[in-house]
Amino acid sequence: MLILTRKLGEVIAVGDDIKITILEIKGRQVRIGVEAPRQTKIYREELYRIITEQNQESAQNNSIKIKDILSTMRLK
Amino acid sequence: MKSKTSRFGEIDVDESKIIDMKCGILGFNSLKKFVMIIHEEGSPFYWLQSLEDSSIAFITMNPFVIKSDYEPEIDDQTIEMLEVEKAEDIELMVILTVRSEPVKITANLRAPLVINKQNKLASQVILEDDQYPVQYDVT
Repeated sequence: MLILTRKLGEVIAVGDDIKITILEIKGRQVRIGVEAPRQTKIYREELYRIITEQNQESAQNNSIKIKDILSTMRLK
Repeated sequence: MKSKTSRFGEIDVDESKIIDMKCGILGFNSLKKFVMIIHEEGSPFYWLQSLEDSSIAFITMNPFVIKSDYEPEIDDQTIEMLEVEKAEDIELMVILTVRSEPVKITANLRAPLVINKQNKLASQVILEDDQYPVQYDVT
């Protein structure tokens, strides 16, 4: 991992089109601004991980049992 | 066009109905082309079948069936990326997780699929709003 020290208001450039700005430092919290191309999705990593894991669990549905559950399920 | 699937055998795909998952589904970003297959007539469940990996299909449904006041805020970046012109062109679906022992179905209300009905561009969106759970119990 590349480790850089930055001051308030300073910027990190990632490649040609991503800029990360340190906007505010307050105790243990840092506000960060990210500028990136439209097609680049930016996530909080913990949320990204939760959704990815949920998607992977959701895709485990290739069994006759699952089809039967769907056929008989009454939604609340 | 014909396509092989592990769950439904060979299926006939109407090319105008192919969903183009622009940013993919998180964790499955290499898969872009999907089709919706209704589970069975009258069912609220739809299989979102990958056309690139025959073994991958997600079970999805219209979230309003289970949560009539569902009102996610879709960010401008997504609206622009999916080239949405009118709000009514947006269709929302949510991915279900179906467990068999014991039987439990949850819906991921936090990360809906946003589909532009006009051009079939779609994306999974993570909502900023944490009032919507990743595992919303529907059973």
